[in-house]
Amino acid sequence: MKIGFIVNPIAGMGGRVGLKGTDGVYDEAVNLGAQPISSEKALIAIKTLIDDYPEVLDDIKWISCAGSMGKNSLINAGINEEKIHVAYASDSFDAGKTSTKDTVKACKHFVDEDVDLLVFCGGDGTARDIVSMVKKNVPILGIPSGVKMHSGVFAVTAHAAGPMIARFVKGELRTGDAEIMDLDETLYRKGSWKVRLYDTAIAINEPTYVQVGKASFAQINDDEIKNDITDHIEEELDNHSDTLYLFGSGGTIDYIANKLSIENTILGIDAIYKKKNIGKDVNEQQLLTLMDSYDNIKVILSPIGAQGFIFGRGNLQLSPKIIRKIGIDNIIVVSTPSKLKATPVLRVDTGDEALDKMFVDYEMMLVVIGYRMSRVVHITSI
Amino acid sequence: MKQKTTAFFKDEFNDLDEKGYTWTIRRLEGPSKPHVTVDGKKCIMLASNNYLNLANHPNLRKAAIEAVEKYGAAAGSDWSIAGTMDVHQELFDRIAEFKNTESAVTFQTGFAVNAGVIPQLAGKGDILISDELNHGSIIDGVRLTKADRAIYGHSNMGELEKVLKEASKKEYRRAIVITDGVFSMDGDIAKMDEIYNLAHEYGALTYVDDAHGEGVLGNGYGIGKEFDLEKEIDFQMGTFSKGFGGFGGMFAGSEYTVKYAWNTARSWLLSAAFPPHVAAVNLAAMDVVEKEPERVKKLWDNAKYFKKEIESLGFDTGYSQTPIIPAIVGDSKKAQTLANMMYDEGIFALAIVFPMVARDKARIRNQMNAGMTREDLDTILRVYEKLGKKLDLI
Repeated sequence: MKIGFIVNPIAGMGGRVGLKGTDGVYDEAVNLGAQPISSEKALIAIKTLIDDYPEVLDDIKWISCAGSMGKNSLINAGINEEKIHVAYASDSFDAGKTSTKDTVKACKHFVDEDVDLLVFCGGDGTARDIVSMVKKNVPILGIPSGVKMHSGVFAVTAHAAGPMIARFVKGELRTGDAEIMDLDETLYRKGSWKVRLYDTAIAINEPTYVQVGKASFAQINDDEIKNDITDHIEEELDNHSDTLYLFGSGGTIDYIANKLSIENTILGIDAIYKKKNIGKDVNEQQLLTLMDSYDNIKVILSPIGAQGFIFGRGNLQLSPKIIRKIGIDNIIVVSTPSKLKATPVLRVDTGDEALDKMFVDYEMMLVVIGYRMSRVVHITSI
Repeated sequence: MKQKTTAFFKDEFNDLDEKGYTWTIRRLEGPSKPHVTVDGKKCIMLASNNYLNLANHPNLRKAAIEAVEKYGAAAGSDWSIAGTMDVHQELFDRIAEFKNTESAVTFQTGFAVNAGVIPQLAGKGDILISDELNHGSIIDGVRLTKADRAIYGHSNMGELEKVLKEASKKEYRRAIVITDGVFSMDGDIAKMDEIYNLAHEYGALTYVDDAHGEGVLGNGYGIGKEFDLEKEIDFQMGTFSKGFGGFGGMFAGSEYTVKYAWNTARSWLLSAAFPPHVAAVNLAAMDVVEKEPERVKKLWDNAKYFKKEIESLGFDTGYSQTPIIPAIVGDSKKAQTLANMMYDEGIFALAIVFPMVARDKARIRNQMNAGMTREDLDTILRVYEKLGKKLDLI
């Protein structure tokens, strides 16, 4: 199995000196006394892999970058040099600085080398750069080392990344959709700290099992479950043909819309009436205008990113005003069980404390996990 | 068609086998009791559901033989056509008396009750509310309905209330809360009083699977008696094949609930009645439970002693509250290794591994038996101590 391995050597440096990231502020971070941390995190992940899962090492061929962008961490952790193929080397290394361009170029080489998995060490910015190149062609796994880690592609800790690599190699893990989130730069420049949805990627996750015998289990793939959820939503739409539905952002909702042949914006909010898209990628104002014409309005959402947000990440169009107008009882949350396993709590961050409190007081929601099948999930604010 | 023969099952079987999902059948040479011979090796039995040691009880054996003499070897027909004999009817009535319900009926197995009855109890416009750790037969029964299904976290009453609250907003025709009485992997008991109170508060019905509680809870009478809810639980199912040492499933409740159940459950309507001697054995089992109350007491004494001692060795027994006492070892491979080593030491125990339980919660499931002596328990504990140290578990 070929694993692409890339370290963003400057990722996470901004955090300890109070910056909101290291993107474009590397010099400032260094002046403030920031030290590189990502190579250390990468080392922890690979060392855990070597120590706890020696049996998979022979099966892995590492496709990496020269020096601090990958090879050094692999060698320091104890990976045999023969097992490493350096696919990319950058001139920026000597200065200790690498850029977005380096990440993207390296990823291009990984795709050309046909890697089965891309392991990166960095934060949301690194994930964005990677996905901008690899799209949904390669599953990615992040060793958390950034300042911001809202995307749904990171292992919980650097230690946890080791076993995930091993289990993926052994075929015990599956792939599924994950969102790539990052700070909204436009809003940030205006002084506002908001995270938005930039892209969707393929991450690796724990498969969902169904019991098929007393001790025998079958893995169901995420698409099968999403098809079940689609059947559920289709029935919902058929039974309430007088209702305006707002389709949220992210891969799960997009899958459902595609299955139902409804046009949909993966990164935005769409208004659906009688199974037709009547408002593509609408903003808050457009939504408010639309909502004036309908008595019954529901919203269909899926938890987004690493922390399971249903409001406040990737769907700021759904402002507090709109959420209040829709009403908590008209919010339908759908999720695959594997996604719920990774984010067992739903979160809201609407920017309106009173509204957030209303959700927190609600304590739990019923999340649709299959056809006519739901389960209780706790809800909290940040 | 691409697959014209069954040859592909070889690959599918091998795939299961590689994952460790296949069963190696161990053969008991002789009756099921605390001391058994398994594949030629003398063992103490830690893996049977024969909690009260009734499977080889003289009264049950005698009842079987006499019934064979009187009724022959088999029932000869479906329950619904010509297979129900007077001894079966006597059993139905006796169950109702024993469970203190209006009526009762038997099924081939406990599985046949859940998979057959649950789909008949709810349809479109209803909701079934199920504990996440309910038995596979409940899950299958629930899958077969057209009702909405909601799952709450294991024994999490806050979550159950949330579902009931949400369900009450949606004008369902009926809601049924379904739970195991004793959960078979952890040996914990459903909070039946709280479940009933919540269900009652929100106008929902209750269904309990008492398979591991029969002969064990409520002085042997089961979970209804344990919580003083015999009349209040709407649907009670159980089995004779565990604590009672007999065979077959049972379903008990109000007169019309029971009549409706057997008139609609295809697993009852389309199956032959179990042999008459099975009914006789089950009748004898209930008599023994009543006449020899010391059996239930001994079972619990053994459970308390074993739990205390194995915990003091350093093993985690999880949430056990019953004679099912897991020894949690964590890693699946380690649990399997421990079970194999125990067999070599003359203890027959079952390893429960991922994904039957969480990845880090693989365990040996120890099932107590009223027929075990203190010496038996001490022998088992010594083996646990020895192997636990060897495998670095304690």
